[in-house]
Amino acid sequence: MNADDWLRAFAAELHHRRVRPDDARHVVAEAATHLRDGGGDPTVVFGPPGRYAAAIAESVGAAPPPAPSAPGPVRLHARGITKRYGRRTVLRDAGLTVRAGQIAAVVGANGCGKSTFLRICAGLVSPDAGEVTVGSRLGYCPQQGGTADFLLPDEHFVLVGAGLGLARGPARRAGRAAARQLGWDTPGDVLTRHLSGGTRQKLNLTMSTLTEPDVLLLDEPYQGFDRGTYVDFWDQLGRLRDAGRAIVVVTHLLDRLDRVDLVLDLTPAGGTDRNGDAGWGGRA
Amino acid sequence: MNRLLTVAEMTLRELLRRRGVLALMLLLPLTFYLIRRDAYVGQSVRSLMLGISWAVSTAALFATGAARELEPRLRLAGYRPHHLYLGRMLGLWAAGLAIALPFFLIVVFDAPGLRHGGVAAAMLCCVAIAPPLGILIGALLPRELEGTLLLLVIVTVQMLIDPAGTGAKLTPFWSSREIGTWAVDHTDDGYLTRGVAHGLVVTVGMIIAVAAVSSIRLRRRRHLRHLPVG
Amino acid sequence: MDIERRGQWLRGVLDLCVLGLLRDRESYGYQLAQALDAAGIGPIQGGTLYPVLLRLQRTGLVTAQWREGAAGPARKYYRITEDGRAALRQGGRDWVTFVRPVTGLVAEGVDE
Repeated sequence: MNADDWLRAFAAELHHRRVRPDDARHVVAEAATHLRDGGGDPTVVFGPPGRYAAAIAESVGAAPPPAPSAPGPVRLHARGITKRYGRRTVLRDAGLTVRAGQIAAVVGANGCGKSTFLRICAGLVSPDAGEVTVGSRLGYCPQQGGTADFLLPDEHFVLVGAGLGLARGPARRAGRAAARQLGWDTPGDVLTRHLSGGTRQKLNLTMSTLTEPDVLLLDEPYQGFDRGTYVDFWDQLGRLRDAGRAIVVVTHLLDRLDRVDLVLDLTPAGGTDRNGDAGWGGRA
Repeated sequence: MNRLLTVAEMTLRELLRRRGVLALMLLLPLTFYLIRRDAYVGQSVRSLMLGISWAVSTAALFATGAARELEPRLRLAGYRPHHLYLGRMLGLWAAGLAIALPFFLIVVFDAPGLRHGGVAAAMLCCVAIAPPLGILIGALLPRELEGTLLLLVIVTVQMLIDPAGTGAKLTPFWSSREIGTWAVDHTDDGYLTRGVAHGLVVTVGMIIAVAAVSSIRLRRRRHLRHLPVG
Repeated sequence: MDIERRGQWLRGVLDLCVLGLLRDRESYGYQLAQALDAAGIGPIQGGTLYPVLLRLQRTGLVTAQWREGAAGPARKYYRITEDGRAALRQGGRDWVTFVRPVTGLVAEGVDE
């Protein structure tokens, strides 16, 4: 396991053990600095991510469980999701429950089926086993693609709006307003194919929020975003969460795991140690 | 209805902005028409039909490829499969008519001795069949190169096959060939009836095939259940 | 050295060793690990050291601050507090009181 994978698994384990986000961020950053200074295999230096996270949780104490009033009704419930491509099993018995007003992060190493899981939740791909129950309205934003090169951003809004029975004017206005939330002033006359990669992703994201979905499924939607947009993106997600949406975001960046309520780590079993044995280093 | 027309409109807008494709769509039938023009005008008119068929079905193929990633999202945004494929077809039929019209006028002025009603009917067959054909190929062959090659094969077979043989009836544009012969060579009305019947059957068959493929591709998956609203 | 026994001993005194290292100057995790090794205690892995540092921080014996060093990236620097110094004095006395009789008992056996 390389250092990045280890840190990712470690962050997920800390979250899993309800270590306060602030504490978790410091501990992960400190471990990263240590590995950069000293090198070495992280599983030797720190032990398996699960065990080290358990030791940390014991040292700093965990956050109290969230107030019971906060989460709303269940909006997405996936259970027993298994998907095979040929002989390769990408997902084995994966599950996730997200309530209104929650953000769930789907993390894991490359190729562990994060996108597939999301596409199954969106109903774009059939699983080999398992089922998904979702709210009545779904929004899905792919990693890339999903826009039309030869249409204007406004025309995308009209097209998506028409699906909901919106007239042109309101659809365009709603689209522009949603784009502004991402710090993007939609140009009136630039074809999508002339937009930069990051801007095209803003369009992509705007399209998926335009339908006012109860469940929003986002597949690493921030590719090509600059720093400011990335911050706007998480702020926008926070607003959507507060508005009672259920959000699932596939991500490989861990610096925002403090902004999410749930983490689903799809790294296959054996990649992380969930036994939580504190080891001799963890007890005084 | 609004959804259908919006998809048709956006299909047309996209097509009109692809200047290069548009130029080729006009150039291709024109070349087909002019290349044998010095000899026998009937042969030129028949080539023209093939040129139009090829150009419009290629446009449909590319429009389908461009929408591949977009369609599932529109499906989630409240579109039904038939809005998407019928809307696209509507847009392409309009584009096909717009392309065929100038060529019809060329034939009217350039070859006055023909049954021009027949030329129009033959062109209509091409314009009716080409969009669903292109959409169907685009839906079945995800890579555009493969689709383009398959279209080339279809057009070449159409061009070289003996129109009187039984196999010819299985080619998609046989109707325009039959009606074209009626218009150019003033043959008996049997050609016209057979052609019109073939054109209708193929058009309806193609639309049904597109409907079936699209409905499967954009179906509501069985593992997904929706919670009641509220 | 018997690795398991060394672990048991360390578990009891690693916090005191760290406080001892921090007595004169502030330091960060990796530097502390190296200093412990250089002092002859042997290699201390991050997985052992950082939980101890966190506990010292939580109990107020050290404070920590993220800061850019003279060279290199930002690091979390630990500094001993007055409580920490008091704990070091008390704990150090206890340790010496504890090891003296132990040494006396086992010293003769070592030379055989």
